[in-house]
Amino acid sequence: MAVVTVPGAGVRGERRRGMGFAGRNALTGYLLLVPVLLVLLGLVAYPFFYAIYISFTNRVVGIAGEWVGLANFRYLVGQPSFQRAVTNTVTLVVVTGLAKLVIGLGLALLLNERFRGRGLFRSLVLLPWAMPGFVAFLVWRLLFLPIGGGVNLLLQQVGLLDGVIDWLGQRSTALPAVMVATVWRGFPFWCISFLAALQNVPTELYEAARIDGASAWQRFLAVTLPAIRPVVLTVALLSSIWTANSFENIWIMTQGGPSDATMVFPVLAYFGMQTQRLGEAAAVSVALVPALLILVFIVTALMRDEE
Amino acid sequence: MNRQHRISRRRVLGRAAGVGTVAAIGGGAGLSRLEEALAARRAPAVLRQGAPLVYWGGLIFSDEANQMLVDEVTAWGEANGVATETVMINQNETNQKVSAAVESGTMPDALDMGLDLLLLLSQAGELSDLGDLYATIGGGEGGWYPSVDASVAADKLGGAHTGIPFGASGNLLFSRTDALEAAGQTPPPETWQELREMAEAAQEPPLYGMGLALSNVGDGNLQISVMQSYGGRVANDEGTDCTIASPETAAYLEWVSSAYEAGLFPPGATTWDGAGDNTAYLAGQAIFIANTGSVSIAMDEDDPELAAATSYSPLPAGPVGRVSPINPNVRAVPTSTQDQDRAKALIEHLQGRDFLERYYAVAIYGPVLQYQADFEAFTGPVRAGLADLVTNGTAPGAPDVYNTAYADFSANFLVPKMVQRVVVDGVPIEQAMEETQQQGQAIYDKYR
Repeated sequence: MAVVTVPGAGVRGERRRGMGFAGRNALTGYLLLVPVLLVLLGLVAYPFFYAIYISFTNRVVGIAGEWVGLANFRYLVGQPSFQRAVTNTVTLVVVTGLAKLVIGLGLALLLNERFRGRGLFRSLVLLPWAMPGFVAFLVWRLLFLPIGGGVNLLLQQVGLLDGVIDWLGQRSTALPAVMVATVWRGFPFWCISFLAALQNVPTELYEAARIDGASAWQRFLAVTLPAIRPVVLTVALLSSIWTANSFENIWIMTQGGPSDATMVFPVLAYFGMQTQRLGEAAAVSVALVPALLILVFIVTALMRDEE
Repeated sequence: MNRQHRISRRRVLGRAAGVGTVAAIGGGAGLSRLEEALAARRAPAVLRQGAPLVYWGGLIFSDEANQMLVDEVTAWGEANGVATETVMINQNETNQKVSAAVESGTMPDALDMGLDLLLLLSQAGELSDLGDLYATIGGGEGGWYPSVDASVAADKLGGAHTGIPFGASGNLLFSRTDALEAAGQTPPPETWQELREMAEAAQEPPLYGMGLALSNVGDGNLQISVMQSYGGRVANDEGTDCTIASPETAAYLEWVSSAYEAGLFPPGATTWDGAGDNTAYLAGQAIFIANTGSVSIAMDEDDPELAAATSYSPLPAGPVGRVSPINPNVRAVPTSTQDQDRAKALIEHLQGRDFLERYYAVAIYGPVLQYQADFEAFTGPVRAGLADLVTNGTAPGAPDVYNTAYADFSANFLVPKMVQRVVVDGVPIEQAMEETQQQGQAIYDKYR
């Protein structure tokens, strides 16, 4: 039987058995990703899923515990502290987020303009963010002290206050006072992120808009905002998560009081840790996850729409 | 067909946000633990050879006492050829640090702790039986004070003596005699009602009458004792069910809320941190405070005039008697400690007469062994008060049963929170009591 040799067939066969340039390139890429993936799995995914697991157990420190289903969550939902933590956390995230957006964007727009000392002001605006959190909130606590606190002294000096206001000690003012401190500490991150985004907006767009007769407000709405929207969404998302998980602002200023007026999830979890009931403490933390996931989905959906 | 992947800035930002979210959530959970760490918890002795003996001491307000403790451990190590490492821990954070250490297998070889933590760790089987050492130390002249002995009885701690008491804590009443005498009052007040009346007569804001914490910190739990002195009880005699809603508790709430309404508490008392009463007293904002003695150290150093104008006395009594609990601080050895003998030897050394006589002179503890009453340290007013407390004080939790449910109840600050509901939110006393009853019962139900 005659054998028909097709020129080049062997070479193609070898190519099929071996790995092409693109394949080798992809493999190298995946190999380079392995260390990062291992770190993420070990330090992020494992603790995350382990926390979810123990939230369904009655684990205490030193004792493995048993599966108790939703018992920890049922117990928590029945606690007034938990109910307060839900409303306070949502309020804290939404109100401080909006305030940081307005202040951060406003300052970023100002700092994007040319004026003498701009570099200095850009540095100064970072100070609250650069300061250690516990120092910042301790200072705010001192400022809000009813006797000898800076806020009351100032109001007394300008004649707006006769007597004292216990800013952190009454329900109507405790959470707003904590919010003020939280906004002060957090707005520089928004401001600097927005400033970086603003510097990437092509000036040609503004020139074109100007030629078309757009006013400053119209240029802001039609050029600036769409251009920095992805950064706004990302900063809002990250800041919301950080605020929802923030501990030191509340703990240093009010310990969640008075009467749970400033109770939030991390402080509630910390109380759980004091009695070493890890299952309950984990349940508090895990209870926050669905809300954060919804937030993530909304923001990523918005960003996908943008693309 | 090859699909073209475009890596846009938005895509990168989106992925970064996603990863950041998971990281933040994981971090927020704060409960991470690697299984390998558990395995390492009881590492073979061969791996631990050469490792120093690690001791966690409890920080107190006296720098001199803290340094003396560190130096003593170091000197003991050098004398015995043992490498030592002493870490001083803020006692407000001992629970959290120990929880993390147990879970990660990094417990020290010996450590100081309070009774709450001793109870929790003993019941979890995390502490070694130090019965022999307890008997040896207590076998000297006079033995342990009965109140101290009863507080750490083996039957309360899972059947073993897991803690060696080294100092007794408790609250004394500090009174500003200058302000009180100027108002025609003669301290000390014998009852809480008398204290209120004296405070009302003498206070002149910004000097307020009643510098008692009503916040979610350990000092706020003094209100449990006040409530108990009015006859209110956290739980029944068996320690199984919460019984806080009662006419006696209502009477206590009436007392505290009327004093609050009268402006006798310094503004901010509902959110004070652990040093709130100290700060208020030192700043001249409080006539009365209940304090373990730390304020006196600060006064002696920084404000001798205030120290001279201060008198010390036991806590006042309520309608059913005086409730003034002692809280022995103990040293313990975790079961994970490889060299148990050395750890016990260190604890025994720190319990020696020579060291404790010097230590008590600068620390803020009352005695735990009866022979220590003769130490010169306990002739001064504050430490004499602490020595008196050890003799005449009440058992921890008493008249309630001191068990894990009680410790959980205390750790959740339900009594100060109940007060806050009345004085901050203005809810009726009956409603505040009923809410606390439900929350307290939910806690006691967990321990059935």
